[in-house]
Amino acid sequence: MDLDLTPDQAGLVDAVGKLTAPFATQPAGAAQDFLVSAELEDRLTESGFREVATIDGMGAVDAVLLTEAVAALPYVTEFAASAIVAPKLGIPAGRPTVLMQSPETPTRHLTGGGIALIADGGDVRVMDLTGCDIEVLKTPFGYPLGRLRSPEMDGERIVGTAPILRQWWHVALAAEIGAVARAAVDLAVQYVTDRRQFGRAIGSYQAVQHRLSECSVAVEAIRQLTRRAAATEDMQDALTAAAYAKEACAQIIYDTQQFHGAIGVTYEYPLHLWTYRLRLLQGELGSFAETASELADARWG
Amino acid sequence: MDWNWSEEHRAFRQKIRDVLEKHLPADWEAKSKLDTSSAYVSRFSREFCPILAREGLLIPHWPKAYGGGGVDAFHHWILGEEMFAVGDPRSYQYMNVNWVGPAILRYGTEAQKQEHIGRIAAGTHIWCQGFSEPSAGSDLASLTTRAERTGDGYVIDGMKIWTSGASLADYCFMLARTGGVRHEGISVFLVPMDAPGVRAKPIPNLMGEFSLHETVFDRVEVPESARLGDEGQGWSIVRQVMFNERIGQPRYTLAMRAMDRAVKRLKDKGRFGGQSMRTDAGRAHAALTAAQSLALKVIDGRVKGHPADAFTSVARYALVAADRQVADFLGAYLSDDLMAYADPLISAAYRRTGSTGIAAGAAEIQLNLVSRDYLHLPKG
Repeated sequence: MDLDLTPDQAGLVDAVGKLTAPFATQPAGAAQDFLVSAELEDRLTESGFREVATIDGMGAVDAVLLTEAVAALPYVTEFAASAIVAPKLGIPAGRPTVLMQSPETPTRHLTGGGIALIADGGDVRVMDLTGCDIEVLKTPFGYPLGRLRSPEMDGERIVGTAPILRQWWHVALAAEIGAVARAAVDLAVQYVTDRRQFGRAIGSYQAVQHRLSECSVAVEAIRQLTRRAAATEDMQDALTAAAYAKEACAQIIYDTQQFHGAIGVTYEYPLHLWTYRLRLLQGELGSFAETASELADARWG
Repeated sequence: MDWNWSEEHRAFRQKIRDVLEKHLPADWEAKSKLDTSSAYVSRFSREFCPILAREGLLIPHWPKAYGGGGVDAFHHWILGEEMFAVGDPRSYQYMNVNWVGPAILRYGTEAQKQEHIGRIAAGTHIWCQGFSEPSAGSDLASLTTRAERTGDGYVIDGMKIWTSGASLADYCFMLARTGGVRHEGISVFLVPMDAPGVRAKPIPNLMGEFSLHETVFDRVEVPESARLGDEGQGWSIVRQVMFNERIGQPRYTLAMRAMDRAVKRLKDKGRFGGQSMRTDAGRAHAALTAAQSLALKVIDGRVKGHPADAFTSVARYALVAADRQVADFLGAYLSDDLMAYADPLISAAYRRTGSTGIAAGAAEIQLNLVSRDYLHLPKG
């Protein structure tokens, strides 16, 4: 038991922080549902960070640590699926990866190219998305979203790996929720520290302090649960992290938006980049209730 | 980062389980009701703790020079997990080994160490904690119990309340004002409970047989050597103590066992099913695992010698939240068992959740500390 980052892991987190530093703030005047950057994509691809789990001596924990950093950027990029999930299925590393609940479901990062992983009974299909006809969806949900115009399931079948896909999808989701939720809470803490009403900072009111502190407890718990699930590689731990994270979304979305007042629902202010991502993530691969009952089944049969 | 227990840690846990298996009576749950504060458990602790001492399991985390094993804080935590899971057969001696002894080792004179440490290490004495007063609960610094200087010692006058185990205890680790205002002028005294003028009256309550008392100190004369540390050093000593106490008992282990038992009972009755029940069970399990994971992070810091900080309150609040989920689950789905006292473990876990958000600082105080010292939010 040693819950600190190793020097290698600390170095990794430091390196990804430096690499992505130019993308750590929302550019002035931006007013979109989400931000993407080809340069960020290129930097991440060149860095080889998506392949970290396949490097000797590294693994899922390292992929989770990098996901925590990348998913907390105001710019969105597919990272968790290719870094955390694909390696567990033995899929050659580094290709942009989309996780699909079904061929019909609107899906994050489904914009063309890369591969899609989709459960087909007990197996996983690896669909090549090159040349697929994709309908781009305009939504407020903080991610590029698309849907296959011809929803058919094809591609190579990896036999018996559907449970592995689900396990690591839960871990990836928990890592993303943890990072996005932390960014939302950090932003709210900064806002209530700066914003003054009735002659004092609104963050000095206990009504605000306690709720943000509860959000902070949740954010810290998600981090530990996710890292634990990555380290133990245990299905129950994966479901625990995902269930806890999904339940926490409700309070974090509401409170961070509430404490911002109206500025929090404008495009000029970045809060929506976090809250609307959380709104999507809290339902991906099942609701909190479904994930928690799946956890109960895993623990007690 | 490594979330797996080492071979040494696993062997240590197994050794504790073996000792519990061998020495707890077969009807332990029925007799003890898993009530740390009961007369039965406290009597039992006076036989059981000497056995733990012989096995090297009473103070394994203390320095070797004082009879400990010199092992890391994870060993101490594993010991706590296994003990709390069975209702803590050490009774209130858990406080001796968790923080009373360590505080005496850190702040005590050689004579105080001579007087107290050997007895704590032998497992024969019970201590209680005299902090809260009728008008000083969350606002502990407003305490008014006074210790007036006399020629060669002090006279202590005042009243403590909510004192756990006071009528079972041999000594009280208590706070009294030696002067000054608020945090300044508070000192720690180590007072024998049989000193003339000390009276402990149990307060009937829902938590446990002797878990709450009113403790009167009526002109109690103590020598100067009963004071721990310097005059006025009490607040800094107690802050350290509270950090240890907030994450001092792994309460989640009893609750996890109770959840396992509860689901088994529901299954036996053919009642475990339906998504809402399974969701609530999963929610409670996730909350307990979150509490455990955050507590382990706190202990990891102790292992590395990091100073305690407000992350302790983050972990404590998660513990409070988890116990609340467990109480809600048991109350909602096993009310028949609770009313019929059908299972001591389930009833004990249900009962104990009532104090998690109150003991060691109210949950709202924990949130204050998180706001101020963790999130650094502006002062009111």
